[in-house]
Amino acid sequence: MRIKGAKMQTKFLPLIFVASLIAGACSGNQSSDSDNASTPTDAPTKDSTTESNQAGNVTLTLLAYDSFTPSPNIFDDFTAQTGIHVEVSLGGDAGELVTKAGLTSGNPEADVLWGVDNTLLSRAVSKNIFTSYATKNLADIDESARKLVPNNEATPVNTGDVCINFDVNWFKQRNLAAPLTLRALTSSNYANLLVVPSPVNSSPGLAFMLATIAEFGQDGWDEYWKSLKQNGALIVSDWTTAYYTEFSGSSGKGDRPIVVSYGSSPPAEMIFANPRPATAPTAVAALTCFRQVEFAGILRGTKHEPEAQLLIDYLTDIKFQEDLPLTLFVYPANTNAKLPDDFVKYSLRPESPLQLDPNLISSNLLFWLDEFTNIVLR
Amino acid sequence: MATIYNRSRTINWLALAPIFLIFVFVIAPVINIFVSSLQFESLNLLRTESTRNVVWFTTWQSLVSTALALTVAVPVAFVSANFKFKAQRLAASLISLPFILPSIVVGVAFLQILPSSFHRTSFALILAHVYFNFGFASRLITARWIQIHPHLDDAARTLGASPFKLFTTLTLPLLAKAITNAALIVFTFCFTSYGVVRVLGGPSRSTLETEIYFRAMQLGDVSGAMIFSALQVVIIAFLFVVTTKATGKKHEQSTRPTITRQIPLRTRKQRVVCTAIISSATAFSIVPVLAIAFRSMNTNSRFTTTAWRTIFSNPEITRSITKTLTYAVTSMSLATLLGLLSACSIAYGNNKFRFISGLTTLPIIISAVSIGLGIIITFDTQPFDWRGAQLMLPLAHTLVALPLAMRIISPVLEAIPDSLRQASSVLGASPRQTWLNIDFKIIRRASISAAAVSATVSVGEFGASSFLARRGTETLPIMISRLLSRPGDSLQSQAFALATLLVMFSLAIIFIVDSFTKDKFSRDSHA
Repeated sequence: MRIKGAKMQTKFLPLIFVASLIAGACSGNQSSDSDNASTPTDAPTKDSTTESNQAGNVTLTLLAYDSFTPSPNIFDDFTAQTGIHVEVSLGGDAGELVTKAGLTSGNPEADVLWGVDNTLLSRAVSKNIFTSYATKNLADIDESARKLVPNNEATPVNTGDVCINFDVNWFKQRNLAAPLTLRALTSSNYANLLVVPSPVNSSPGLAFMLATIAEFGQDGWDEYWKSLKQNGALIVSDWTTAYYTEFSGSSGKGDRPIVVSYGSSPPAEMIFANPRPATAPTAVAALTCFRQVEFAGILRGTKHEPEAQLLIDYLTDIKFQEDLPLTLFVYPANTNAKLPDDFVKYSLRPESPLQLDPNLISSNLLFWLDEFTNIVLR
Repeated sequence: MATIYNRSRTINWLALAPIFLIFVFVIAPVINIFVSSLQFESLNLLRTESTRNVVWFTTWQSLVSTALALTVAVPVAFVSANFKFKAQRLAASLISLPFILPSIVVGVAFLQILPSSFHRTSFALILAHVYFNFGFASRLITARWIQIHPHLDDAARTLGASPFKLFTTLTLPLLAKAITNAALIVFTFCFTSYGVVRVLGGPSRSTLETEIYFRAMQLGDVSGAMIFSALQVVIIAFLFVVTTKATGKKHEQSTRPTITRQIPLRTRKQRVVCTAIISSATAFSIVPVLAIAFRSMNTNSRFTTTAWRTIFSNPEITRSITKTLTYAVTSMSLATLLGLLSACSIAYGNNKFRFISGLTTLPIIISAVSIGLGIIITFDTQPFDWRGAQLMLPLAHTLVALPLAMRIISPVLEAIPDSLRQASSVLGASPRQTWLNIDFKIIRRASISAAAVSATVSVGEFGASSFLARRGTETLPIMISRLLSRPGDSLQSQAFALATLLVMFSLAIIFIVDSFTKDKFSRDSHA
């Protein structure tokens, strides 16, 4: 219902605008009827509409990557508190969002952008797409994530890990120990068992490549990939193919028991499963994890900067942050947010994940990817 | 071509709409993004070995795919144009089906069917390209073949020509233009294909189109992407010019025969050959579709209809179904109208408007990334801030469908002998009456075909849509791709259920249209 309302709003935005001017003049109530679901209390009884009129007419556009799937009514509270409506616009993967935002820098298509991660951050900052803002929740945000944006160029909203996942039963049946380190993957015990999404067009694939650079250094990582390749690692184009087609631990019934995926894939396997299996079918190798931090930011040139700031506050506040684990399968950036039991039970949070400086990433990325292509793909 | 309309001024106006639209929504944005992002250092990219590899791979896979697609298409066209058999229309619809399937769906379907040793091979990629294009190619060739007067064949046979001799010396030369036309279009589609390459080719097989996307989106190197985009246009344009020079001069003054070529299957040999060709082509078309349908009713290795029930109760998905159909109707009307206008201005314009034919192909030969990014930076200021406008999506579909619509109508229009019009004119008809009673009646059938193809293109279009869709305007292919990229087996099943639904829509469109264009000339006077 809310989604429908939001859509009606865009389509008829000019109409609604004109209508609300007229309605305002006649002191009617300003919100269109389709929004009643989201603002159930204020419409019929309130007579003094003037003071809420200003905010009530603002609709913020939140631009996000395609897999942005929070709970459907998550912005209702925000609308109830502030009178501001939020329309979510999905614009491809995170790389696409940054490229498009870079081209429209200063004259953005939306007001707030969700989903720039640490591999893209410096590109976004160098294209000057954000206007900086220190959210009121800043003090509660994970400190290591906050360090990446010393001048509040963007606001950390969630963190996650990309890790080696393995098929628990496959290893149990063969009485084999699962690989626990990156180095182990080059052992002949694990020959022809690994599938990796390509770093060239997949973000977990890229994170995994960066993990190997963080682990083996800029001098050693190419040797590592040569041995991985010799050991029969399979590189596929995207995460979906790797996880759902080639990996044996997911529903896809592939034949490779080791895959590069997210630290939160095991809870996802459990929570989506129906009926739920007794034990988690997949597990994570903690020492192989690379930390991904995602940011949201106010797009420079927005006509609604004060409202956009309120939205950033909302996105980093407890309510929204607590919605993230079970909808996006990431960890909240707000350290006060509580994690759902299921999520804690089945997921593994590495103590000291592998990390790389965003500036180092952006200045070398092209070179590394070329190198990768030459070593692994040709 | 000399026609009685040549002197009319109206011709100039006919050309205006398609030229204007392509200029505003394709050429201007592309020039804009080029000029604003191009840096000369990017030219160094052209000298690297990896660029050479990419260009080489793109070219050879397109050539092989095109050759194979035609090898499959010609026998199918032979049977469809020369014989009448049971379930002909159904078979024709099924064979046309692959062309309008969204590429991501086809990619995933092939992953399901092919044994895993074929995954991520050039073979899988080429097979999928053949699958996509052979039906369309055979349609184009059949349309021309049917127009070859059966008495020509009879004459050749009377003079003692063997079936082989007849085919090589009579049929093939007459079909040459249709075949090259089909080959060019198929080549262009294979050269610029994106989704299939991503899914089936695997990460080590990049084509120019995937490189363009990767440079612009993953690396943020828009300038480098533009260089590749330009390279792609140059290569295809070169090919178009060369082939048009080679075949464009001839005008085949053969009209729709008043008697049909299509004869019932009589001899045993005819029956065996035709059944073999048509049934294998039909099987080839529907096996991947069946794999999709099967997968939609299979969640966590169990048979279930949950996915189907879910998609019909999800308001986002039902809305997307409505949107898809609305856009299909809009772009069908627009593309057919514009295709008609373009075809007419080419046919009646004293060769002055022949360039429109090239112009309309621009939306398919320029990479979607360049056009998409161009539109974002061009239509960004009021009152032309149309970046999120609802109209953009059907408009994009129209532009993608236009070259096909035009190419379906154009050959039929150009084959009308002017003597018919002169006769009408001599009998006192005004040019308008002549057009309505001669030209329009003859191209009516082609126009309906063009409408069908446009509608199905719109239903399955993915590249441009993924760029322009906003919340609330997602079409089915976009919903499918989103579902496919999300975790959870039940969502994957829903994606396949939507893909099955998409196939059913497209099949319905083709089937309805094919029954509209039921052959009125099926007098069986051919011995």
